[in-house]
Amino acid sequence: MVVVPEFLIRRIYQKGSLKKLENGASVVLKNVLGPGLISGFNYVKINDVVFESKDVKFITNGKEVTGTEVSEENPVVFRLGQSGTLIMSGQECIVEGNNKIVIEALNPEAGIVQLTAEDNV
Amino acid sequence: MEITFDRYSLMVDGKRVFIKSGSFHYFRTPGVEMARDRFLKMKAGGYNTVDIYFNWNYHSKKQGEYDFSGIKDVRKVLEEAKKAGLYVIARPGPFINAEVNAGGLPFWLLKMEDVVPRNRIGTTYKYSSKYMEYVKEWYDQIIPIIRDFDNVILFQIENEYATDTMEEDYMRELYKMARERGIKCPIFHNDAYFAGLWADCVDIYALDLYPYINPNQNWKQDNFCFDTLDNVEDVFRCAKEESPPFIAEMQSGWFDKWDGSGYKHIREALGDEHINIMTKTAISQGVTLFNHYLAVGGTNWDDLACDEVYTSYEFTAPIDEFGVPQSNFYKAKELNYFLDSFDLTMTEPKELDFYQENIYAKLRHDLINDCDWLFIRNMNQDTTGVNVLEKSIQLKPCDMKICPINLELKGCDIEFSDAEIFAQLNNSKEEAIFFISDKDAKICLSDGTIISADQKDYENFTFEREGKTTQIIFLTKHLADRSWFLGDRIIFNADYVLPNGAIAVDKNTEVAYFDLQYKFGKRNCIVTEFNKPQTLEQLEIANVEFCSPEIDLGYDYSAWKKISGKTDAFSCDMYDEFIWYKAQIPDNLTEITLSARHLFAVYINGKEIINRNSYKLEKLQEVPETLSVPLNKEILNRDKNELTILVQNLGFDKGFSGDTNNPRGLVIFETTPQVPIEFYVCEKLALERGYKKESDNPYLAKITVNFDTEIKDDVFFAKYISFEDFRCRRATIYLNGVKIGRYIKRRHVQDKFYLINEFLKPHNRLDIVVWEKDRNVKSAWGFKSDLKDVKILLGTFKICQLFK
Repeated sequence: MVVVPEFLIRRIYQKGSLKKLENGASVVLKNVLGPGLISGFNYVKINDVVFESKDVKFITNGKEVTGTEVSEENPVVFRLGQSGTLIMSGQECIVEGNNKIVIEALNPEAGIVQLTAEDNV
Repeated sequence: MEITFDRYSLMVDGKRVFIKSGSFHYFRTPGVEMARDRFLKMKAGGYNTVDIYFNWNYHSKKQGEYDFSGIKDVRKVLEEAKKAGLYVIARPGPFINAEVNAGGLPFWLLKMEDVVPRNRIGTTYKYSSKYMEYVKEWYDQIIPIIRDFDNVILFQIENEYATDTMEEDYMRELYKMARERGIKCPIFHNDAYFAGLWADCVDIYALDLYPYINPNQNWKQDNFCFDTLDNVEDVFRCAKEESPPFIAEMQSGWFDKWDGSGYKHIREALGDEHINIMTKTAISQGVTLFNHYLAVGGTNWDDLACDEVYTSYEFTAPIDEFGVPQSNFYKAKELNYFLDSFDLTMTEPKELDFYQENIYAKLRHDLINDCDWLFIRNMNQDTTGVNVLEKSIQLKPCDMKICPINLELKGCDIEFSDAEIFAQLNNSKEEAIFFISDKDAKICLSDGTIISADQKDYENFTFEREGKTTQIIFLTKHLADRSWFLGDRIIFNADYVLPNGAIAVDKNTEVAYFDLQYKFGKRNCIVTEFNKPQTLEQLEIANVEFCSPEIDLGYDYSAWKKISGKTDAFSCDMYDEFIWYKAQIPDNLTEITLSARHLFAVYINGKEIINRNSYKLEKLQEVPETLSVPLNKEILNRDKNELTILVQNLGFDKGFSGDTNNPRGLVIFETTPQVPIEFYVCEKLALERGYKKESDNPYLAKITVNFDTEIKDDVFFAKYISFEDFRCRRATIYLNGVKIGRYIKRRHVQDKFYLINEFLKPHNRLDIVVWEKDRNVKSAWGFKSDLKDVKILLGTFKICQLFK
């Protein structure tokens, strides 16, 4: 069971932010829930393509971190109202029209937080 | 009492009231006398309301059976709250969380067919009419009691509830059920996600706020934890424009867990700065109803705890588990007295053009006192100078102040003060305003007079205007902590004071009084009985005996309950901390595989095979463990071998992030080769079942000590036993037959156990049941001899004499 209901987690995803990059994609997240920390990125899945932690970068507050650098000891501060761009690289994943996105991250208090969203390109 | 509200505040019989509430768990602070003691201390500390969870599971062990007698008599608890002059916020769930066993849902309910607890599976909504039937049964029991008390001003349905799809049927039905059963006061729900949830289903929108839930976090550095609180007025206004901002649970402490960092660490980490910031920031956001969760710590005696927490539920509350006011109580008291002195129930935010890094500033206009209040907070690591509204203010790290601006008094007007107001005594002609001394602060009067707040105790300044007088009197922080505002007078230099004026001191003390008629007076309180410092007393061990006859070969268990198939607690219908399993197993088994929650031991033919602590919680989820134990002919040395398993259940999941239905007891049991096993089961330890004969095996041993306690009406005391030098790994503690604690050696182990006053008698018997591992047992005789040398120390947390 997750602590936070899905519909609330989904609010973090900025609708319309999905962009196709060369050999990858990016999305924008905005923390509208409450102050918190991200203590890990497990994976990002766009359609059927899975990006492991090492292939995920998060840029927020002027800093860029790779998914593998984020841990409970080295969390990313994600304040209320703060935005961040999540960049996935290494694989083509975007299809024209509707795309299914799953982002699985970790929070020290809530544990695994899974965000599912759909977006058009 | 008629309770109404508008966008500013609650109104009781038409009069605005600032609700200063604190949570109290009657089930963790059992008995009328303990409730009375804690309520009177809350009232003396300026709280005007007590928030009470009603724990369904505590009152109902079987479907249709309810116990509201003896220490479970909630009517008496409510009577004491009323006598203490406290309003009540009633929160009967049905689910309450509160880190209680199964979140307060009765065990029998969880195993009922077609019942979906709380109408949700995970966060997926699934309406269960059967569940609602049982909720009605609970409401039918509890609401008639609550309804009888006109000091109940608010009623909560459910607790921190959400589903993925947010169907409203459940919440609307609870609301309707409460109304149909006669609840007249406003109904609310506490939204844990501060997202406006259920605002349309209730009268008043409320939310819970806990910025510090990770004891490894340094909130003083990571000050972003207040982001939500700093903007909470917007959340309230968006959720329900016309209801008053209400923080149903506002953090005043936090709970520790098994493998946690210990209450000492949490108390030091929070300090008294945290409650100061929480409460003042809330007021700066227009909040006029708050509830400090918790105001009073408690004890998880008997089987009250969920699996996550240990015996102490101290919670670093303002009044601790033992009933002793702590430094955050003094800070809360200071704020409560201020709110008693100046009515802040109608304020509006006022524009303030200000920015400084790590400084929070908020200005509010007070529609009642026709003045402004500046709320200013420093989250820098050093003392910081702040220039705001053309005033210069020095703020210590993590300090927050409420500064009056253009406050009209009887004999003078305060243009600005960054010295904080402690309390005000007032009549039609004169007033005395007590300020807290502060070497960096000053009071600026509108006539240009500037009074430094760097003053000694009782230094005072008098101002007169048109036959009316204002006296400004200073108190140092130390004296303010020991000062007690009783509406028409202040009593200084007491450990605590009860609302009836009774003074508690722990040593010979000169107590001072002030009221507007007689001004200052003094009185000596001579404590004659406990002038010597309290030291730990080593208790003499009266007896050691082995107490697990269930493990003995040939023990007659034929009267136990026979179980075929599943062996978990629900399947056995046994919910006690200890469950015994007995069975015959053949001699050809090569292995058994088992999973048990949470601690267990396996004995074959009276010998221990494995003793294991399987408790593990990660990321708020339990981590089940399954083990295989190899067997051989040496172990299975008979044709029919006697298997005994003892499982210790530390409690069911509280149901916030996990599932209350997660199984307990013996969850998996398989043999290799597979053979059907017929178990006989029984709950509780032998001594709880009244079995007196000593057992042959040494695996569970009972240490008995006796001690006397002097119980007097005019003495408050809190006693404990210390396991500081205790050499055993696990123990369960019984005071006069009541289970009062679980000791399990961990990193930050709880080593002091409160001897709950309710269960103390003049002559006391303490039984400590030790459950040791086999490898530590050299011989039964040697083990017994070792236990006779165990140190059990009796101590006193606090002792005060009360003077009327």
